[in-house]
Amino acid sequence: MGHPDGMYIGLLVVAGVALLAWRWQAVRSWAERVAWRPYREAGLLVGLLALAFCVVSLLTNNSPWPATVVVPATVWLIFCAPPPARKFAPVAMVVAGVVGVALTVSRVSSPAAYSGPGQGEWASAVAARYQSWRAALLVESLVFLAVGCWLMWRARPQAPTSVRRPRWGLLLLPLTVAALVLLINQQQTGHSEASTAAAIAGAALLIAIVFPTVSADLAAVAVIALGLFSLIDVVTPPRGVAGAFAVTAGGTPQGPMYGAIDRPVVMLAAVECGAILALGAWLVPRTIGAHARVLLGREADAELVGRVQQLTQTRAVAVDSAAAELRRVERDLHDGAQARLVALGMSLRAAERLIPTSPQAAIALVAEARDSSSKALTELRDLVRGMYPPVLADRGLADAVQALALDTPVRTETDIDLPGRLEQPVEAACYFAIAEALTNAVKHSDARLVQIRIRHEGRPAPGVLRVDVTDNGTGGADPANGSGLLGVERRLATFDGILAVSSPVGGPTIIVMEIPCALSSRRTSSC
Amino acid sequence: MRLVIAEDLFLLREGLVRLLEAHGFEIAAAVDSAPGLLQALLEHKPDASVVDVRLPPSFTDDGLRAAIEARRQIPGLPVLVLSQYVEQLYARELLADQAGAVGYLLKDRVFNDDRFADAIRTVAAGGTVMDPEVVAKLMGRRARDEPITRLTAREREVLKLMAEGRSNSAIAQRLFISEKAVGKHSTSIFTKLDLAPSTDDNRRVLAVLAFLNS
Repeated sequence: MGHPDGMYIGLLVVAGVALLAWRWQAVRSWAERVAWRPYREAGLLVGLLALAFCVVSLLTNNSPWPATVVVPATVWLIFCAPPPARKFAPVAMVVAGVVGVALTVSRVSSPAAYSGPGQGEWASAVAARYQSWRAALLVESLVFLAVGCWLMWRARPQAPTSVRRPRWGLLLLPLTVAALVLLINQQQTGHSEASTAAAIAGAALLIAIVFPTVSADLAAVAVIALGLFSLIDVVTPPRGVAGAFAVTAGGTPQGPMYGAIDRPVVMLAAVECGAILALGAWLVPRTIGAHARVLLGREADAELVGRVQQLTQTRAVAVDSAAAELRRVERDLHDGAQARLVALGMSLRAAERLIPTSPQAAIALVAEARDSSSKALTELRDLVRGMYPPVLADRGLADAVQALALDTPVRTETDIDLPGRLEQPVEAACYFAIAEALTNAVKHSDARLVQIRIRHEGRPAPGVLRVDVTDNGTGGADPANGSGLLGVERRLATFDGILAVSSPVGGPTIIVMEIPCALSSRRTSSC
Repeated sequence: MRLVIAEDLFLLREGLVRLLEAHGFEIAAAVDSAPGLLQALLEHKPDASVVDVRLPPSFTDDGLRAAIEARRQIPGLPVLVLSQYVEQLYARELLADQAGAVGYLLKDRVFNDDRFADAIRTVAAGGTVMDPEVVAKLMGRRARDEPITRLTAREREVLKLMAEGRSNSAIAQRLFISEKAVGKHSTSIFTKLDLAPSTDDNRRVLAVLAFLNS
């Protein structure tokens, strides 16, 4: 090891890997969410800038004027014609990468080639300066090359290009790398700056992973700050534009060499600074601006708007299903019990008339009337069971599900731990959801064993009721197909509950329901 | 035979009293709430009681709970529970103490007053009477890997009628077989359900319980 920097950076790398391993799920889901588009859009700008740099370096060397053509063209491409620019970006990045690597390993790596007539102190100063530039340029070129290749490989024309806020958080990483490069270049003194920069990069990575939205805002602010920093650097002598051109014109003690080498670099810095500021101005309304508008009350909170929409939707479903239920009850009563009572009344009236003349016939009619009332009762009983099962009203969800399990023609095991009662509407929704799952298991899956597990977890407040219904049947249940599970899902959604179905062909089928609800300690009083 | 009746609806209570008096029962008390029922059962120690599941004060299953509590204090106190609906869960709770002398019927079984009176007498004599609807649901289940599956179809039929509280002669009549054959079937049922030899009544209760728990 020897060098303390190596150890320090090694530790940081280990910590970074550990962090990634620890938050791997979050990282993966985040990466899936942002997909590859943000890389492309961020990479587009970087790629075009790199292209501008290459063109300027190759064509002008001594004269800054071609840059005045390349720079407006690049800006125009980025802001006025995004689709061609987007197509162009991967190619540009690859080209920039190749040229950069070539430059690094050939010309720039041998500063002696540039020392020219000037000897001594100035030559060594220039050489040292190019050494520091070389490392940064090599890294940048390799990154361009890799990202460009990857983009070309992934390029798909159908990808939509809408702007979403969190993905700009990815910019934080290149920005941090840029800050790192700046730090090293500004003060090429010791290892502490490098270590600090590495630590900052690690922190940026952490923020980008854990808080993508926050890092998007930070990135926007950082872009502006970087642009301003570059602007100051570019316009102030002796290193800035003025200095670069002044030295060439005036032939000051620094000699012609300084200007010849620095001029394209300073031009590039000016271009970069302008583009970075433009990018910052473009990012602000898309990131931190949106938050500011929400905070200032100019714009409704998107989360609240979504919640209102969801509530409106589920309320409509709840009202509709309640109305449909009432219609069903009305129809059942009308066609069932009411009709039976009418028949009963008619039988009794006929019997009444027959009693004096033929008592035998009257007895038969009365027996018929009794039969009719019995059937009416059966129908009423079934109706009541469908509306609100009596055991549910009497004993609550746990016993009602147990009763349901007993009535199921397939072997059904229950594992229920509910130390209290739930809200009645939640109990009813859960009961009917479980009943539907059981019905499916019996009717469609050919299961031999069904297991029902019900638990209530106290956290997060107010708590979550979790119901698992598992059967060992043939599987293949699809909630989108049968309206039963879809109805259950809608009914549960009224309580912010969710339903998940896992049912591969061949089984087993697992149905999981989760409903946020509180558990009251009230139990039915026992005598 | 002295009865205690618990029913909160006045018309039904009076109707039950009239019907049962017509069948020669003596009504010791007719109450309209669960606490009243518990008190009456403990005080009168009737030969049998007819209890509605849903009673005040909470209008849930107070009647059932009061009956079970009374049987806890006086083991084997004959109770016939009536309800607008039947649940296997409640049937199992009633039978859980294995003391027999329990009935569980739908309210509309009262229409057939002769059968109803018979059921009360069966319960008073220590028998078990389960509503045909409870029994039918049990028969509707698919075969399971349990002792009950060892029974033949005929034995299951006999067990079903036994659960409904019918005597051997009634079962014989119903199935068009001799009473001796019924006796043979029931012995076979008891053996297959691993019920140790004891009085016939007790074994019938246990057989029904095994049936319900299957």
